[in-house]
Amino acid sequence: MHDKSFTSAVCYNKPDFKTQFFSLNMQIIKKKTHVVEFKKMAQKMFGNMVKAVVDTDKKIMAVNGELHADEEALLLENNSKQENLWGINIYPGAKGDDWIEFDSMINIRPSMNNLSRGIDNMNIRKKIIKVVNQLVKK
Amino acid sequence: MNYQHQGLASGKWVNLSLPEQMANIGSEVERKIIWKNKKNTSYGQKAMERALELLSFTIADRKNRNRLKELTRLREVLIDYFFGQNQYSSSDRLWQKYFYAFTYFSRINIGNS
Repeated sequence: MHDKSFTSAVCYNKPDFKTQFFSLNMQIIKKKTHVVEFKKMAQKMFGNMVKAVVDTDKKIMAVNGELHADEEALLLENNSKQENLWGINIYPGAKGDDWIEFDSMINIRPSMNNLSRGIDNMNIRKKIIKVVNQLVKK
Repeated sequence: MNYQHQGLASGKWVNLSLPEQMANIGSEVERKIIWKNKKNTSYGQKAMERALELLSFTIADRKNRNRLKELTRLREVLIDYFFGQNQYSSSDRLWQKYFYAFTYFSRINIGNS
């Protein structure tokens, strides 16, 4: 069962009912999870894509949120540090380098000299790819 | 309605400021541009569907009623560029610059604390 590697986000949600209800599927992935699970998540929400925020220090990622900002908040609530969080999109059905897209509004961080929606620092990109490859079984 | 962003459609979207809303729309437009330039029509189409869905939420948000002319024009010109004849002479660069301002504004104080 791939689902065993998920950590439920339910207990970290804000008390607002609507927020809570629709955040039920947002999860923190800490262990290797089969790409099939990502395909299911993609199909249920955006069709081809799963939004994710990676913590390059803790080597975990929050996934399946509607906004990167929601996933970012979930990780911050779980003691991640802002400077380690980066937004990506995972396309589980895409081939080659296209399956990870470095594009999120949360990546714009003037205080860290990252001025684009992408990730300008190649070392950080490599760290993210490493974390994703550790957490996603293909 | 069969929304892709069900939680946002249920009312959560209105909790975001207008710059945050525009920044999120811009993220999807940026993805549309990326996939268009990679000749991936299917992925590009999905990104644009998400962008237009978020823009429709923004237009419906009552706090933005004084910005409706901007928002409805935005919708028209976006559709003209990506699905029409580009009669307004938009460009990828124009759209990237337009939305970047909102994204930068939304994130300017992040990480400073």
